[in-house]
Amino acid sequence: MTQYAKRWANTLWRSVAVTAAVALLLGLPQYATSFPIDGDQAVLPAGSELNEDAVYVPHEILRSEYRGDRASYVVALGDLAFNSPSILGGVARRAGISCGTCHVGGANNAKLFIPGLSTRPGTFDTTGALFNPKANNHLFDPVRIPSLRGARYLAPYGHDGRMASLRDFVRNVIVGEFAGPEPSPALLDAIVAYIQEIDFLPNLKLGARGRLNDTASEAERRGEVLFAKPFPHDPNLSCAGCHPPASAFVDHLQHDVGSGGLHKTPTLLNANFNAPYFHDGRYDSFDRVVDHFDRVYELGLLTQDRSDLVAYLRAVGDARHPFDSDGVTTRFKGISAFSLLLAQAIAVRDRGAIDLAVDTLGGGFRELAEQFPDHRDTAVTGALAERRMARAAAKDVVISLRRIAMAVSADDLDAAAAEYNTYYELTFSKAMPLLRGAEPWSLFNPAIRAAHDAERQRLLRAPAQTQR
Amino acid sequence: MIRAVESWICSLLLGTIAALAIVSQAGAATLKDAAESYRHYLIDDISQALAGACALREHLIDHDLDGARKAWIAARVGWERSEVFTSGFVPELDQQIDAWPDASHGFHGIEAMLFGAGHTHVAAETDALIAHLADLRAQLDHVDLAPQRMLNGIARLAFEIGGNKADGGESRLSGTALNDLQSNADGIALAYRVIFADVMEASDPRIAAAVRAAIERLQAAVKVPDLRKLDADRLRADSEELVALLQMAAPKIGLNKPTLEEGAR
Repeated sequence: MTQYAKRWANTLWRSVAVTAAVALLLGLPQYATSFPIDGDQAVLPAGSELNEDAVYVPHEILRSEYRGDRASYVVALGDLAFNSPSILGGVARRAGISCGTCHVGGANNAKLFIPGLSTRPGTFDTTGALFNPKANNHLFDPVRIPSLRGARYLAPYGHDGRMASLRDFVRNVIVGEFAGPEPSPALLDAIVAYIQEIDFLPNLKLGARGRLNDTASEAERRGEVLFAKPFPHDPNLSCAGCHPPASAFVDHLQHDVGSGGLHKTPTLLNANFNAPYFHDGRYDSFDRVVDHFDRVYELGLLTQDRSDLVAYLRAVGDARHPFDSDGVTTRFKGISAFSLLLAQAIAVRDRGAIDLAVDTLGGGFRELAEQFPDHRDTAVTGALAERRMARAAAKDVVISLRRIAMAVSADDLDAAAAEYNTYYELTFSKAMPLLRGAEPWSLFNPAIRAAHDAERQRLLRAPAQTQR
Repeated sequence: MIRAVESWICSLLLGTIAALAIVSQAGAATLKDAAESYRHYLIDDISQALAGACALREHLIDHDLDGARKAWIAARVGWERSEVFTSGFVPELDQQIDAWPDASHGFHGIEAMLFGAGHTHVAAETDALIAHLADLRAQLDHVDLAPQRMLNGIARLAFEIGGNKADGGESRLSGTALNDLQSNADGIALAYRVIFADVMEASDPRIAAAVRAAIERLQAAVKVPDLRKLDADRLRADSEELVALLQMAAPKIGLNKPTLEEGAR
């Protein structure tokens, strides 16, 4: 931990950190109340919530990190494309929506809500009219946004398991559901390679073959026994029958569990952070999930049994370090990976990757600059000079990226390589320290974010008054 | 008391605008002279915003919501065209006049009531707006229009135009975010043409032509009927290419690379 980070943790956000820690101990993901998109001329319907202002974002671990490696070029390219609105169709692109908007850090987005496409937060109708009229099935049938952690273990794909191939599934999301242009085979391969790298988060309560280890409580152990116990009215069935612990708690099959049709078995790993549950997101807690099975399969569970099963599900669904605070450090993790990719793409003259990196990094730095309010924002008063320096530095990075794009479009890859050196210097030597220095006065500070959002709320929700 | 002062300001206004109309642009030999000749346009634009605010106040007195909304929209045009100047030169007044997001004062506070809540109970806020615009108008007679700072303002606004407006932009309640963009682009074109175009042409005709073309592209990109029709990718690229060109052009006319935030170097 750097000196800076220590000071940070010890002063400004102490109360927030404590609140978050308590919330996480309770197994409750904690988000800031962020502000929905609005306005008659907005791309998305009024009341849409993409949860882009969340204070905590899902932690992401790629398989390469377990090996102590960097992601390969192909995986980094897939990660980049996954987070680039430009691979999707017009409406998504204009709204700044990418794969990563719904699958934040490769997980889910429990707060995403788009009126007309969501029944409740965390659900989305992929066959609605907004993003691709041709995909419209004229039914309001949202499904929950799944986490992609461990996707490589979780075939078949789709909530109903309709596709055996992840590649086919991803292509359909891009072209079919979001009206994007046909991705090149290489780009599609890259996205699939990236998704296959997204790992489950480590769970300190699980040992070999998905069994609880010796840190488990009595209640969790009783739950584990119940989980494997045959159902009273059908001894061929048990929870573990469909959710075998040794294979990521999935049997790769579709079942009708009384929720309306056949649906594939979802994994229970890291599921504490994947609410809402069931294909349509109808349940927001494990208690209600257990109630459902008790009712449909007449399990005759006692109160104690239910709480034991819920304790077991919570143990299985847990993770160490499930969230990161959004902030400069978290943002720079992605920036570093994509910058390395950009350097490699320039070296191997991969123009598609250069364009994608420049576009996505530039959009990211524009957005980062806006996290540092200028003089017009009355929600923050301190450190105006530092905020301006941070904004200016982030904007200079955007322009240096544009100069790379201009060099590439002028067919001068050597100039692009030289511009990359300027970009690197501006990003890591200049912008990063300035952004870190001004971070306490930015919208990454939850108190400032709350004041800023309260002003927006007051502005956009000005109450109608009777004429005096 | 405040209302009496505002009335006085507003009654003087027509005379001021008439006097401005007879001032013509002098041939500008140096950047400093050219910046001086921009002063008249700037005064004209802020006077137009002030006139709009005064008209708004008249409509409030008559409880004429529709008229008040139209006057608010009219007042924004000159204001947004002057943003190349206001944001960098007079940040305190900029905050008083155009705070965002702040529902309590300034253009957007008034917008929230007129367009969001749908009532005309904004007399106090409008009087304050008139006072601040009048204060600004008075300062314009003497303020030093340093060419470097004007170039910074142009580059900063050119960058800002390329920002994401998918959420409806700032003036979303009035539905005039697109008008803001168009006035911003026109303000950039005006300030560049009056202050820098001739000197740039004399110094480096090639880069002068490139900047001129980039400004025209930017103006064309925001000339769409509806915010949703903006080609956001194109607009962002146009915006950033213009800034990149201005950064390249600055040394040719003896200026520093423009900063994208005033006061940041």
